[in-house]
Amino acid sequence: MSAPAIRKDIRFLLNGDTVTLHDVRPGDMLLDFLRIRRGLTGTKEGCAEGDCGACTVLVGRLGRDGNLAYESVNACIRFLASLDGCHVVTVEHLKGADGGLHPVQQALVDHHGSQCGFCTPGFVMSLYGLWMSRPDADDRVIEKALQGNLCRCTGYESIIRAGRAISDYGLPQDDPLASERETVAHALRSLADGARVEIDSADGRIVIPADVDDLARVLEAEPDATIVSGATDVGLWVTKFMRDVAPVVFIGHIEGLKGVHTHGNLLVMGAGVSYSQAHGVFAEHVPQLAALVDRIGGEQVRNMGTIGGNIANGSPIGDTPPPMIALGATVTLRKRHNRRSLPLEDFFIDYGRQDRAPGEFVESVSVPLPPRDAQFAVYKVSKRRDEDITAVLGAFLLRLDGDGRVQQIHIAFGGMAGVPKRARAVEAVLAGQPWTMATVEAALDSFEIDYQPLTDMRASAAYRMLVAKNLLKRFFLETAQAGGGSKAA
Amino acid sequence: MNKHLKMDERQSDVLADMAQGTVGRELARSEGPLKVSGRAVYAAESGDGTEAVGVLVRATIANGRVASIDAGDALALEGVLRVITDSRMVRRPAQGTANGAPAQDTSQVDHFGQPVALVVADTFEQARHAAHLLDIRYGVETADIDPETAREVETPEGKRLEQGAFDTAMDDAAASIDAIYTTPSQSAAPMEPHAALARWDGDRLTLHGAYQMLKYNRNELADALGIHPDNVRIVSRYVGGGFGSKLGIGPEAVAAAIAARAIGRPVRVVMSRAQVFEMTSRRSETWQRVRLAADRDGRLTAIGHDARVSNLPGEAFSEPVQIATHFLYGGASRHYETRIARLNRTCAGSMRAPGEAVGMLALENAMDELAHHLGLDPVELRLRNIPERHPENGKPFSSRGLADCLTTGADLFGWNRRNTRPGAKREGEWLVGLGMASAARSNILSEAQARVRLNTDGTATVETDMTDIGTGTYSILGQVAGEMLGLAPEDVTVELGDTAFPPGSGSGGSWGAGSVGSAVFLACQDLRAALAARLGCDPGEMTLKDGVATVSNRQTRLSDLVDEAMEATGHIEPGDTKQEMQQAAFGAHFAEVAVNSVTGETRVRRMLGVFAAGRILNLKTARSQCFGGMIFGIGAALTENLVHDPRDGHVVNRDLAEYHIPVNLDVPRLDVAFLEERDPWANPIQTKGIGELGISGAGAAVTNAIFNATGIRVRDYPVTLDKLLPGLPG
Repeated sequence: MSAPAIRKDIRFLLNGDTVTLHDVRPGDMLLDFLRIRRGLTGTKEGCAEGDCGACTVLVGRLGRDGNLAYESVNACIRFLASLDGCHVVTVEHLKGADGGLHPVQQALVDHHGSQCGFCTPGFVMSLYGLWMSRPDADDRVIEKALQGNLCRCTGYESIIRAGRAISDYGLPQDDPLASERETVAHALRSLADGARVEIDSADGRIVIPADVDDLARVLEAEPDATIVSGATDVGLWVTKFMRDVAPVVFIGHIEGLKGVHTHGNLLVMGAGVSYSQAHGVFAEHVPQLAALVDRIGGEQVRNMGTIGGNIANGSPIGDTPPPMIALGATVTLRKRHNRRSLPLEDFFIDYGRQDRAPGEFVESVSVPLPPRDAQFAVYKVSKRRDEDITAVLGAFLLRLDGDGRVQQIHIAFGGMAGVPKRARAVEAVLAGQPWTMATVEAALDSFEIDYQPLTDMRASAAYRMLVAKNLLKRFFLETAQAGGGSKAA
Repeated sequence: MNKHLKMDERQSDVLADMAQGTVGRELARSEGPLKVSGRAVYAAESGDGTEAVGVLVRATIANGRVASIDAGDALALEGVLRVITDSRMVRRPAQGTANGAPAQDTSQVDHFGQPVALVVADTFEQARHAAHLLDIRYGVETADIDPETAREVETPEGKRLEQGAFDTAMDDAAASIDAIYTTPSQSAAPMEPHAALARWDGDRLTLHGAYQMLKYNRNELADALGIHPDNVRIVSRYVGGGFGSKLGIGPEAVAAAIAARAIGRPVRVVMSRAQVFEMTSRRSETWQRVRLAADRDGRLTAIGHDARVSNLPGEAFSEPVQIATHFLYGGASRHYETRIARLNRTCAGSMRAPGEAVGMLALENAMDELAHHLGLDPVELRLRNIPERHPENGKPFSSRGLADCLTTGADLFGWNRRNTRPGAKREGEWLVGLGMASAARSNILSEAQARVRLNTDGTATVETDMTDIGTGTYSILGQVAGEMLGLAPEDVTVELGDTAFPPGSGSGGSWGAGSVGSAVFLACQDLRAALAARLGCDPGEMTLKDGVATVSNRQTRLSDLVDEAMEATGHIEPGDTKQEMQQAAFGAHFAEVAVNSVTGETRVRRMLGVFAAGRILNLKTARSQCFGGMIFGIGAALTENLVHDPRDGHVVNRDLAEYHIPVNLDVPRLDVAFLEERDPWANPIQTKGIGELGISGAGAAVTNAIFNATGIRVRDYPVTLDKLLPGLPG
């Protein structure tokens, strides 16, 4: 295997233009590039940390199947360099068949979905992205697509109505992006030269590996590089904490990290699988996880953020690790050609510390699917139901033997310790006991052995403890009542 | 030509006699196409790219003074142009309609997060980096963070009132409520962060800013800079929401102006989202004690509403929580007292519906408690207590649709399906309940001018420095002018947000549409008189419609009639009707919620608001104002809580991830209905304010529904899961 050719610039399409940039810095974000360098001020900055969606744009990319797919992203935390080989579509690119307003835009005007107008271009782009793929979306689907767009004045009602009415004004097949599709796909194919990108500036080095093997090589040379996948976390290190992230290695484009397959009862996902991509797989195999993913950020964050990133950054309140731990997931890390796998729960050592050596990267995670005779549930508790950071998240996996005794119980929580963590003491009390409320009650005190949660503005320690105990009770009530099946989130 | 009206007497409904049929229609906002295509230009992006960038530097102590700032390292950075610590810089925004500079001299620190300097550089990154390299030393003084322990608490004489024999009424009551409610600090959190771009041309300053009230803002900025207002022009054509936080000139504008002058180059200053939370005004937290006394039939005999709110030392504004309590319900004995704790927290100011937004959370909860106590329907309790006249000063009401809103709303919502016993309706894990509350918002007329020009092509142009912060001003002013001059909406151009135009009222206090709308109306009346004179008739004999003037059977196109542009300025002022009549808009909110019996999570399922707010100029923009107000109510009831660190008062949740405004899935199906109403005492176009009515009482309807669902009365807002959890049946 030889190293790929090296290119010293990034290239992407911006609306109808090809952009070639030699002078990209590691911390440059797409939003600043659009507004300051290109004067495309239709895309707004409301928060600079992926919370409000005013900066929503569409990014199109050729998938492994060669198909061009667009998804909504937050331009404020989308690293400019990560757009290499992509098509960026901003609100300025939209137009109707007659050159006037686009159907999405006209629907928003007529249904009064725009008031002060500042969040509007972001809503336009989110609705546009949805309408292109699902022109007949119902309220639920529209609301979900708009989860990551905040509006402070319209009350949302009018925006949802507009979303429903778009197809009254035109059809996706008449849309410019549809008619340009082949041209754009062709242009993107011609940009995909299989090269590694390396750009050096006074602010540090950017590397965009050609593929996953090249990533391994790159990390050998740059073992302490910041690995950036979806950037929904690392983006904030730059925009909010002003950290110097260089040297930085972008991996969001690597198809070799986006694989999803099942081996028997094992679901194996590449680290680069986005939440949106995972949602489809989960919906098929573990619907409880699909329901959980619906409550992670908004659509833009789900399109950008990855399963691997959520693990690798080791947040104590990451939403996916606790259920994966409860299911007995293992994580595979790779350094050069060497791979090692370990139980996911062992990967998290302490707050801010993971079992990842310099030069090593998270390559995949293997999740055993819940056995047919098992009950599995995930509960996320947050102050605001949607688009909020978890206060407490509990995941439960239970198997009973023929006598109704606990044969296997896995309980894992986020928000209760410095890391996502198993409730080993609680599990020990439950193991082998009849699955009754009395057993559950007897186990509750053991939560205090397993966890000493902290008090912060999201929740007090006492509340977290009470919720953790109640979630076990809830799990009991649901499993005892349902007698099968289970609920999520 | 000028037409001036002082609102001293009742006005006839002139608009009703017009023929165009534009006013009242459900028209899409005229600037909508610009906004949906990203072409509406906001303050931060109004430059040409050559401007320098300023970053405000925040204080990291709660109280004291800046002893020294060593800018050596910062100034050594490439691109850094200047570190500005001018004594004219302001520490906080001006209060609404202040008309003069807010507290100046940023070397004095009175809250954590206030600006202490501005770093100016070629790029944002350079300026922000340099800002972090400043070595700032402070002389720290003891701070007051907690309203419970504040050393200085004022009880202004003007904020006390006692009427009748209050204590006796409470003692003798057949039923009484004495409850304490608290609400936390809140933030307006408009989607557009506060921004200013300053450019000097000799001694003349042009400032593009995100502001609500330009005629005041111009004077405030001039006062801060020590220059004549004639040398200041402020432009705010599009403003990305304000909700009170853009009422008064802010630190970003004053600093940008000083910096631009100092470096001889335009300067742009945009607040980060964190700074929006720390440096723009907050709504004060409140402690409220509501006492109600009633006879056996539920007729109030006494109302008491005491409060403790807070603000920085020296600030005159205090959250007027009792504002609607004074006139909403009867009861012979009344008691009010407001204490103001002087705290080192971000400046408190007017946030959407100052007073009602949080005062009604307390009052309308207490009314619900009383209804429950009496075993009386909450709607009926309110109907029984609508007073004949203002219960404290005896003024008659100019118009009041409260009773109709209550009964119509109850019908539309299906209120009779409400289970009177709390906690009685269960759907699986969910407890379901209905709640309601009244809404009221004082109506205000504010002095305003507008110029209307009838062009030779038969179109018209409206000009005023009035702003449109999302409210729909562009649309409704065009509709008023179109109605009066007989022009289709597309034939009227509305130019706003520039102090080069006649001074409007500014956007705030829900007075914009009625005040500036009336100024436009007056200007048009003048133009109508001039047109009638040309046609040789009385204005009343002339019909204007679709660009044609008709007198008996003679028709003349306006474009033929206007050989050279005709211009008139309308000028309205409040007058005797303000003193003589109690003016307010009213409404009723209804909400259905489901509370999860396991987690305590509340989901609002549906809400209805029914409002009577005088003439509705544009059904679409008016309804949207109410939707927006109602979701502010949902936020206040369930999620919004600006958290201050108890050690230094700093805002802990200074981002949109942690300051929880409602997201779309928090917002259920909303419905709004308007009752037909005219208010001849309010203004000549007979409207009342609507921008803040929707929030008044909305949150209380939600929490009253929570009580109906669960039997749990949470008196500490917001009603988060943890507060419901201990009381839930599980």
